[in-house]
Amino acid sequence: MSWRRLRTLLLREVRATLRDPFTVTILVTVPLAALLAFGFVLATDVKHLELGVLDASDSPESRRLLADLGAGGTFDLRRVTTREEIARALVRGDVGAALVIPPDFARDLRDADAGGPPPEVQVIYDGGEAVLAGNAEGFLQALVAATGRALVPRAPTGGVAVSTRALFNPRLDGRPFMVAGTFGFVLSFLTTLITAVSIVNERLTGTFDQLQVTPATSVEILLGKILPLGAVFAFDVVLMMLVAGLALGVWPHGSALFFVAVSTGYVFISLALGLIFSATSATAAEAVQKTVLFSIPLVQLSGFAFAVRNMPLVFRALAETFPATHYIRVCRAIYLRGAGPLELLPELAVLTGVGIVLVAMALRTIESRA
Amino acid sequence: MNLGRFRANVLAIAYREAIVLRHDRAFIGVVVAQPVMMLVLFGLVLSNEPANVPWAVLDRSATPVSRRLIEEVQRTGYFRKPRPIAGYAEGRDLLRRGATLAVLVIPKDFRRDVERGRPAVQLLLDGSDPLSAARIGGYVGQVAARFETRRRPPPAVHLAPRVTAPVDVRQRFWFNPTLSDRTFFLSALAGMLLTNLCLSVTALGLVGERETGTYEQVLALPTTSVEIVLGKILPYVAVAYAILVGSTVAAGVVFGVWPRGSWIALLLATLPFVVASLAIGVFVSALAHRSAQAVFITVFFILPSFVLSGVMFPYQLMPPGIRQLGGLFPLRWYQIALRRIVERGGGLADVAVPCLALAVLFAVLLAAIRLRMRPRLG
Repeated sequence: MSWRRLRTLLLREVRATLRDPFTVTILVTVPLAALLAFGFVLATDVKHLELGVLDASDSPESRRLLADLGAGGTFDLRRVTTREEIARALVRGDVGAALVIPPDFARDLRDADAGGPPPEVQVIYDGGEAVLAGNAEGFLQALVAATGRALVPRAPTGGVAVSTRALFNPRLDGRPFMVAGTFGFVLSFLTTLITAVSIVNERLTGTFDQLQVTPATSVEILLGKILPLGAVFAFDVVLMMLVAGLALGVWPHGSALFFVAVSTGYVFISLALGLIFSATSATAAEAVQKTVLFSIPLVQLSGFAFAVRNMPLVFRALAETFPATHYIRVCRAIYLRGAGPLELLPELAVLTGVGIVLVAMALRTIESRA
Repeated sequence: MNLGRFRANVLAIAYREAIVLRHDRAFIGVVVAQPVMMLVLFGLVLSNEPANVPWAVLDRSATPVSRRLIEEVQRTGYFRKPRPIAGYAEGRDLLRRGATLAVLVIPKDFRRDVERGRPAVQLLLDGSDPLSAARIGGYVGQVAARFETRRRPPPAVHLAPRVTAPVDVRQRFWFNPTLSDRTFFLSALAGMLLTNLCLSVTALGLVGERETGTYEQVLALPTTSVEIVLGKILPYVAVAYAILVGSTVAAGVVFGVWPRGSWIALLLATLPFVVASLAIGVFVSALAHRSAQAVFITVFFILPSFVLSGVMFPYQLMPPGIRQLGGLFPLRWYQIALRRIVERGGGLADVAVPCLALAVLFAVLLAAIRLRMRPRLG
C-alpha cells in the first residue's frame, strides 16, 4: 500500500462528494432533522389533556376536587351534562378521559370522615390512545388521592408508601432517550445508504473501472472510498452532539471524547455493510432497496423506539444480532448514565467482533469483484 | 377541455400503468411482503408494555412481611426474578451498567413500621428509559398501595375490601380495556402501509421513467400533464384499497382487531388520504433528478411522518410547534380518522374533520405539482 496513491484517491473522493450539492445537503440536514423530530416525540408526562367532567354532585367538595384537577395544567376541564355527551366526546376524540362525580359525593365524603367507606368517582379513559391513557391514569389517581386526603383527613391510610426516585433522568424527560437513539438511527441507516449508493453509482458511470486500471490496489481504492465518508460521519456525530446540546439541552453525561471514539468505530461497521450491499447489487435502485428492506426491521427491532426487552424471545435473539442494537445501548449508557469503557465492556466487545467480521467480509467481496 | 377525451386519456394511461405493474415482480413482492412484515412487527413484536424487567432488591428487613411485598411485586408478571443485593453501591452500579431497571429498597425497620401503620419503601429507577421507568414505577406503586399490612381481615362494613385511598377511583378504559399496544398500533396499520406504498411507488416510478426515457414517450402523447398524473396514480389507488381491505381483515382474523365502526366510513376516508399521499410522491418525483435522490427524499419523508403523526407515539403529548408540524403530514389526519373508526366505532360524521383536512392538503399539493411539473424534456 502506498500512502501517495491513497492520498490521491482520498482527495478525489472529497472533491467528488463536495461537488454534489444533494449529497452534502442530505449529510447535514437528515441527521439534524432526525434529531429535532425524534427528540420531542417521546413524552411521559401529560399536559393539557382534555378531561370531560360530569359533576352530578355540584357541591363545594366536588368543585374543590375539580379545581385541584384543573390547576396543574395536566388536565383541561371540559364540562358536560349527560353521560351520552361523554360517550360522544370520547368517540370523537374530543376528550382523552372523562370524570364522573356521583350526586352523593359530598355526603359520602362526610361519611368517610366518620369512618365509613370512601366515596367513589368514576373515570373513563380513551383506551384507544393506549400510551396516553396509561400516562394519564397515574396523574389522575395521584391528584384525586391528594385532594381526597385534604378533604378526608381521618381517612384510613393503609398500604405501603413508595418514594420513587428516577436516577440519571429525574423528571423522566423523553428527550435524552430519543436523542441518544437517534445517533444509532442516523449512523446505521444513512451511512449504509449513502455508502451503497455512492459505490454503485461509481460502478454504473464506469469510473470504478477506470480506478481499477490505475496502479492502485483494490484495498487502496476501498480505503480511498470509505475513509472520507467515515470522516464525514464522524463530523456528523460532533455536529449532532452540538445541536442536541444547544437546541435540546441534551449533553452526554459520560465522556464526550469516548462517545465520539465509539461512534467513529461504529461508522465503520455501517460503511462495511454499505460496501457489502453495493457489491452485491447491480443497480443503485437495487442497493437502495436492499438497504431500505434491511433497515426497516433494524429501526423497529433495535430498541430505537421500543425496548428489546418487551419482545418475544425469538425477536429478542434476532435483535441481539444487529450491531445497531448494541450501539444504541452504548449511546444511551454514555449519554444518560455516564457509563465509561469498563461498564460497557461486553457491548463494546460484541461491536468489535461484529466489526471485524463485517470489514473482512467487505474486503473479500471487493477483492472478488476486482 | 373535452370531458370524454379527458376520461379516455386517463383510462388509457391507467391501463398502460396497470400492465407495467403486473409485470413488476419486485413491486408485487413489496405489496405482499410489507403488510405481512408490519403485521408481525406491530401485532406481535413491538410493545411499550414492560416485560422481563430485570430488578434488584435490597431487603434490609428480611422478614416474612418484606418477602411477601417482594413476591407481590413479582406476581404482577412484568418482572424477572429479583436479584438480591447487599448495598446501595451495588444497586447503583447495576443501574449504571443497565443490568437492572429498578432497585427496591426495603428499610431495616420495615416490619415495625408495618405494625405501627406507616411503612415506606424506596424505589430507585433507571430514568434513562423514561417510558419504562414511569410504567414500572406505576406498577410497584399500585402493588404497594394495595399491600395488606395487617393479617387480620378488614372490617366487615367495608364493601370494597382493599380500598385504602381516601377517594375510590373506579376506572375503566373504553375501546381498549386492557390498554394493549397491539390495538393501538394495528388500528393505524393501514395508514403506515399506505404511506409506504403511495409515496415510494409514485416517486420511484416517475423518476425511473424519466431516467429510462419512457416518460418522454408519454409526453409525446396528445395528453396533458394532469391526465398523465391522474392516469398513473389510478392503478395505485386500486392497489391501496386492496391493501387496506387485506390488512384490515388480516388484523381482524389473526389478532382479533376488527373495525368497530362503519366500513363505509373507512373506505371513504381512505380516498382523500391515498390521493394526498400519491400527490406527495408525484411532487417528490418532480423535485428529484435521479432515482437515488427520490429514494432519499421519500425515505426521509416517510420516517418523520410515522414518528410525528401519532401512529407510534401519541401526538397529543408532543410540544406545541412539533404537534402542529405533524399536521402537515396526511398520515396525522388519516390515523385520527382510523382510530375513530376502527377503535372507537365512529361513523362518517365523526371523521368529517380529518377528511376535510386531507382534502385541503391534497388541493395544496395539486397546486404545487401544477406549478412544478410543466411538461419538460430530460
